[in-house]
Amino acid sequence: MGRKDGGQPLTVARIIVRRLVQALLVSLMVSTLSFVMMRALPGDAAMRVAAARYGHDLVTARAADAVRAELKLDRPVASALFAWWGDVLRLDLGTSAVTAAPVVDEVSHQLGYTIRLALAAMGIALLAGPLLGVLCGLWPGSAFDQTWRALAAAIRAVPPFILGLLLIIAFSVEMAALPAAGTMDSTSLVLPAITLAVGLTAGLIRVTRDALKSVTESGYFAFARTKGLSLSEALVRHGLRNAAAPVTAYVGVQLAFLIEGVVAVETLFAWPGIGHALVHAIYARDVPMIQGTVMAMAILFIGLSALADLAILAIDPRRR
Amino acid sequence: MTMPSVGILNDGAATPKRMTPWQWVGLAILALIGFFGLVAPLIGGDPLIQDLDHVMIKPCLSSPLGTDHLGRSMFARLGHAARLSLLLAALSVLTAAIPGALLGVAAAWRARWTDTALSTIADGVLALPGLLLIVLLTTFAPGKFWPFYVGLSLALWVEYFRVVRAASQTLLRSSPVEASRLLGFGPAYVVRRHLLPELIPVLRTLMTFGAATSVLSLAALGLVGVGLRPPTPELGTMMIELLPHYQEAPWLIAEPIFVLLLAVTGLALVAGERELR
Amino acid sequence: MPRTLLRISSTALLALLTVSCRQSALTTNASMAGELLVVGPWEIPSLDPLGSGSQFMRMQVTETLVDAASDGTVLPGLAAKWSTSPDGLEWKFELRQGVRFHDGSLLTAASALPSLKRALAEPGSLALAPIERLDASGNAIVVQLRQPFSPLPALFAHSSTQILAPSSFGPSGEVFSVVGTGPYRVVSIARPQSFIVAAFDGWRGGVPPIRHATYLSVSRAETRALMAESGQADLVFGLDPASLSRLRANPHVTVEAVSIPRTIALKVDSGKPCFQDVRTRRAISLAIDRPRIARAILRDPEMAATQLFPPTLAGWHNPRLAPLATDPALARKLLADAGWRKTSLGPLSLGGACSSMELLTFVDRPELPLLSAVIQEQLRQVGLHVEVNIGNAGDIPFGHRAGTLTMGLMARNYGITPDPLVTLVGDFGERGGDWGAMNWRSPEIESLFHALVRSNGADQSLPRSRVAEILQSELPVIPIAWYRQTVTVGTRVSGVSLDPFERSYRLTGIRWAGKTGDSR
Repeated sequence: MGRKDGGQPLTVARIIVRRLVQALLVSLMVSTLSFVMMRALPGDAAMRVAAARYGHDLVTARAADAVRAELKLDRPVASALFAWWGDVLRLDLGTSAVTAAPVVDEVSHQLGYTIRLALAAMGIALLAGPLLGVLCGLWPGSAFDQTWRALAAAIRAVPPFILGLLLIIAFSVEMAALPAAGTMDSTSLVLPAITLAVGLTAGLIRVTRDALKSVTESGYFAFARTKGLSLSEALVRHGLRNAAAPVTAYVGVQLAFLIEGVVAVETLFAWPGIGHALVHAIYARDVPMIQGTVMAMAILFIGLSALADLAILAIDPRRR
Repeated sequence: MTMPSVGILNDGAATPKRMTPWQWVGLAILALIGFFGLVAPLIGGDPLIQDLDHVMIKPCLSSPLGTDHLGRSMFARLGHAARLSLLLAALSVLTAAIPGALLGVAAAWRARWTDTALSTIADGVLALPGLLLIVLLTTFAPGKFWPFYVGLSLALWVEYFRVVRAASQTLLRSSPVEASRLLGFGPAYVVRRHLLPELIPVLRTLMTFGAATSVLSLAALGLVGVGLRPPTPELGTMMIELLPHYQEAPWLIAEPIFVLLLAVTGLALVAGERELR
Repeated sequence: MPRTLLRISSTALLALLTVSCRQSALTTNASMAGELLVVGPWEIPSLDPLGSGSQFMRMQVTETLVDAASDGTVLPGLAAKWSTSPDGLEWKFELRQGVRFHDGSLLTAASALPSLKRALAEPGSLALAPIERLDASGNAIVVQLRQPFSPLPALFAHSSTQILAPSSFGPSGEVFSVVGTGPYRVVSIARPQSFIVAAFDGWRGGVPPIRHATYLSVSRAETRALMAESGQADLVFGLDPASLSRLRANPHVTVEAVSIPRTIALKVDSGKPCFQDVRTRRAISLAIDRPRIARAILRDPEMAATQLFPPTLAGWHNPRLAPLATDPALARKLLADAGWRKTSLGPLSLGGACSSMELLTFVDRPELPLLSAVIQEQLRQVGLHVEVNIGNAGDIPFGHRAGTLTMGLMARNYGITPDPLVTLVGDFGERGGDWGAMNWRSPEIESLFHALVRSNGADQSLPRSRVAEILQSELPVIPIAWYRQTVTVGTRVSGVSLDPFERSYRLTGIRWAGKTGDSR
């Protein structure tokens, strides 16, 4: 796989700069779309927010006008847009049109839940996936290998929502072993994390298997074996290091899938993270919350991608 | 959304790809679904007509796939849903692939700043997971078709852009292209003779993946509740509607799940071995 | 170099993990054995009694001056007794002695007044009565009316009049904590999903068997059903008919049901040209096949509405009224009479407009989206094209006030207060109501209400029957089906009963069942 920039060596600085630029771009993009949304959606957005803040019946025209100024709806489009951008970059994301609480507060609270879920899912996937993948890769073509690969492919095609449902029915309803939803139990994280991890695991199995297969079939590996190294020694010294690179690259690439899966999984399991909040905000047409949650998810995605980039850099000497 | 390894190697030589048996199976599956999507809406009747006296009937002769909780023909609904998903997939993939590929070639060809500009924009779009972009757009027009179409196209084009750009960069520096240029052949010739044969197999893989992503995204959003507005039959919205009946009529929810699985598996098989999803 | 990178990455990951764990410390503490879990679809976006504060009353954190028995008779609540002056213009509500708020302060007329004054500002509640002023005098709340209003006590049973301690309010009158007088006090709130309550030791009624409870809002009906099925939740409200059938067959779950005076109805804007003509509204009513809907969708044939008031709304339900019929052919004829013509695209239109009408509904009650799909199709069969938009419960009142609402499918509770008259006055009176008529007036109904409000013990059956007749004929709101409130009960608890007025979950009456009480 060639270098991403097409010719320039990757350094920590370059990675961080690239990700910061991405974060900036995505913030501008999302905030612009939200800005348009605020003006394009039917109904008086200012009235909505004011009604949430002061109560439907206590809201006055003056209060609505104050909110209108806050949302910059009273200014011409161009200057309003710049002011909007300014607010967003200063992390002033307004107040929710439903709870009247500052969006930043709500989102940071929900972000905690989502991060727990995402990290748990990644942890499960990074443990189970490469493990199974290594086993498949050591005996390519065997029944074990074929079954797992077919299973992985099939599971990838099932939407996370359905998968989660099946897991709830199996483990909560039938076996009463785990809670069906919510965050009350200490084991509440298990089912949502597994649901989110399954798709990732399926892909990791395949990637690890392919990577390991190419390692075991390579010249230097055969050479290491003829030198007298046992299978495990040869694996550890040559195989794992070389297989780690494409695996890490794959994880970096699949982060988008993870973030997207968060929306469905949090909705199903009533997990109060950003994905759950996003769906609610859409139903309520709560533009400040929509903006806040989408931006939070995008920034989370970029942050995790940056970590993945750094990990690749650490592992793969060819990149430097 | 994914970055498959580029099958093109440094020497610019064309790598022939013959269809493996599994790819033929995948193609057959897709043809089957396509046929179903074409024919079922024609012979299955109206997917909207309800018959509250005959709800959740088991599959039988008069109603091949049974009726749903409102007495609507599952055969007709699935046919429409399959057609919708495949249509959306095809449309968005084409709308993403063609501009994406063209821009990729342009970025590889042109001066440094075009490349940087396009790459930066692509990076920015890539930073927003596709589903979120679609969800943002659906807020403008809840339940309508165009947010999915536009959102998917926007999310997918970056793939084509980056892959084509990377491939073109390598190809354009290769000796055969140098030779053609020295001989005075113009850009159109270079594209047709040197780039296309290499790019098409890769594009084909990407397109099948884009199609699978489209189909899954549409269903995922329908499941979460921001999909196409009822009563439009769509796989995801059908799944969520039939969910409460999973015990009394399990075949009902199994049907759209099966169609979805089949479509995605067919696409994955066609994409072949060298995929990274 | 690689080691440093690894160190940086792992530190970053650890930081993320710690941040996220700290946030959720609140809710994980609550997972104690012997804690009741109540699940419902209603969220708690705000603590305001005028907003979603009704959930706190249901969980018995707050109380009102007046209580209601299951049959609708008003009972003393925080007010021990009340009386009215001979001319009916002044009411005195004597408060109970020795009642304490959860913060230890004493309940007095003075400390109760701020809550009541806030409720006066809400049009759907105290403002329905012609209240001139509210005062505290000694240990009594004194209400001065502009005109006599006999159903006044019933108004003080409404959740918007729940009494909060003065310490609940901030400097500008906003509610920032819920300090009530009920048997349970708030331990923590995680807006908008959940809150935890614990038994309040200083409650006048003693200590209830259930010491801790959590209310969790879960928006997906499927998830609620699964939580009931798996036994995770002890009480689950708001399940769809199919899940209820499934759960009735489940040995680990009991389903309690009670018919309540709630009607699923179609609210239309009679001011819009589309619905101005009563023939159009009658046509819509004729197009809807209520018996089939009740049988196939609601799985309860008795719920097919024959008129707006269900039989449980004794006194208002008019048994002599001809039931609402189903006749699509007649519906088409009426539409044609009213001026609807076929357009080139298919659906009918009225004078070039109304060829596509928007129907708003919401997911809080899972029957509503289901019924909206059925109604949409049944109206399509007579030529009317309807677009269904599923949003928030607040969209309908919002649309009513902004004038943007065309059609709304709702489930109106005519038993919000023990005396339905108050609710009806609000819905069908002069200005119409958020959940009532829109841009429709009937001088006759207004005078009937006027008379009923003043009458004190006189025979009210004639005017009430007439109200039902007018509503049946004019159809400002088109009834679809009546309602049964349901709750699923797990095996851990017993003694669950449903309040037909949905004011309380009656947690104080619930006990742990046998020995399985403390295990999960």
